[in-house]
Amino acid sequence: MNKDMLDQLPADEQPVASKLESVVEDMKVSPGFQWELENQLMDAYKTKGQPAKGWQAKLIPALGWAILAISAAFLLNLTIRSLAPDALPAAAERPGPEISFADNVRQGDICEGRLALAHGLNVFLTTEDKTGFVPVDTGNSLDELRSFAWSADGERLAIVGNTTGSGNIYITDPTGGETGYLLSASEAGYLRDAAWSPNGRLIVLWSSQNISTLYLLSTLGHGLIEKQLDVQILGTPQFAPDGNIFFYGADRTAAGLFTLSLEPSQPFLLMPEVEDESGFAFSPDGSLLAYMEYDRDEGEAHLSTQKPSKGEYRLLGTLPIPRGSGSSLPEAANLSWSPDGKVLVFSFGRNTADSAIYLAYSDGTGLVKLADSAYAPTISADGRCLAYISNKQVFLMDLAGVSSTSPSPASALLADLPAGRGSANFRLDKLQWRP
Amino acid sequence: MTTLMATRTQYPSMDDAQLAIEARADPEAFAELYRRHVRSIYRYHLAHTGNVRDAEDLTSQTFMAALEGIRSFRGAGPYITWLIGIASRKRLRFFRGKQPEVPLDAALHIPAPSLPTERAAARRLQIDKVLAALRTISADRAEALILCFFSGLSFAEAGLVLRKSESAVKMLISRGLQDLRTRTSLALEVDYE
Repeated sequence: MNKDMLDQLPADEQPVASKLESVVEDMKVSPGFQWELENQLMDAYKTKGQPAKGWQAKLIPALGWAILAISAAFLLNLTIRSLAPDALPAAAERPGPEISFADNVRQGDICEGRLALAHGLNVFLTTEDKTGFVPVDTGNSLDELRSFAWSADGERLAIVGNTTGSGNIYITDPTGGETGYLLSASEAGYLRDAAWSPNGRLIVLWSSQNISTLYLLSTLGHGLIEKQLDVQILGTPQFAPDGNIFFYGADRTAAGLFTLSLEPSQPFLLMPEVEDESGFAFSPDGSLLAYMEYDRDEGEAHLSTQKPSKGEYRLLGTLPIPRGSGSSLPEAANLSWSPDGKVLVFSFGRNTADSAIYLAYSDGTGLVKLADSAYAPTISADGRCLAYISNKQVFLMDLAGVSSTSPSPASALLADLPAGRGSANFRLDKLQWRP
Repeated sequence: MTTLMATRTQYPSMDDAQLAIEARADPEAFAELYRRHVRSIYRYHLAHTGNVRDAEDLTSQTFMAALEGIRSFRGAGPYITWLIGIASRKRLRFFRGKQPEVPLDAALHIPAPSLPTERAAARRLQIDKVLAALRTISADRAEALILCFFSGLSFAEAGLVLRKSESAVKMLISRGLQDLRTRTSLALEVDYE
């Protein structure tokens, strides 16, 4: 605080302000830490896209994990390519069940509907025969496209974009054919994501600039509604099937899953056990909330379901977490249910290398690892297909072949991740099947 | 590092917004931004955590996230408020799942090797009491004090972070200083000079 600022304070408070200023001056950054962090930032800059981890990360374990991950990804990729007809034509000479699965998908016999993908500040849809991705903005006339959200009926796709920091929402049809503005150069600031209400009349927005404001956009042309909150929104708000809004957030004293009705009210903390931005999801009928909870003392993460009224609790599965992980705990993300509510899938890990995709049975009978080095899982509307990203490619897996007692079926390559407009960051990648 | 040190005067006339644009393609520009603001971010985290280890960890996370997201900085507001926004989210994630209480006695290894032991102890006591007192006053007053005194933001910049007017920030700071005066009278009146 400079003298000019001090002078603007009431005279009575200026001595205390000066004393406080002198106390703060003694809080110096360790030169060794500052130097080390600067070096790490510069190293991370050179390998941008996969910046270095925490400054305290140890080099040898990191290298070990990297070698293991690369080897695993290479072997997985080799296996998958050998099974995918388009990627390796020779495989078509010896058709197996996985090839027939991929053909069935491409012919539209199963897993109908296109996949939407947000990657590298652009949004894509699969081609009708699911042999690749095409950008929604075919004319390349729109600015940065950050994310998207399918309407509940799958008839509309909202695209989240930004023009020099002002948020835009575009609406297009399921094929990406007609694209128009629903919101242009919004005062909401830089928009990160959005979600539709169950009835399709509202879209809730998440602005990274105004995180204590909830923005509701009418899809019927009634404009943008702002609601000031006394908590901060730290993850994409979602509508529950009953129309209430849920989001991961925090107030001064606690973080967790907050809920908010559209009536004039403030959100309240429903479940402080929830610790992940997208590690929670309502079952399709709205009766159960699935979420990941962390027990640091036991070194375990628990996937559980609970009735929102907290009447019934069920443990679906347990995963180990490294003890003493502190703030670098693995995260559960993209938790999503199958349409029949019998299974749910999610990714769990800290980065693309150690993130794996799991499937849990909602009756608590098991937890199955489906794929290593994989993230962004999504289930097709018929519940038959799992799509996910791994090693810069999008894969499909036949969920009909998954059981808790046998190895997961091999995946089929759908397509390479398309080139984006900006630097890719796996945390921003989003993949969702049309509902 | 030699290269970095040698180029420290490369951008004296550039403001933060210009540097942030340069930093999209120029690592030295990002390094300059880092040097300008590392103290503000470190103090911000130290004020909240009261713990040097956690403050350093969160400072590291904040700048790593800033590096990853530098392209998303559009210059709609000052760079420092954008950076504080990242720091705030990192802090909240850090505190998630645990009570925002910190082991003050185990913290505050404030480097002051040149000070005699008694002075260093008195200094540590002062900082300890101020940080403890910040936790007892209202959240918005504490945040305003932290932003303006610890992170060096102007009233206007703090207003952008807090989504309040400049005059509202001054009011918060004035009330916060009153609170500190009553709760840290010993700490703020004892001077070790």
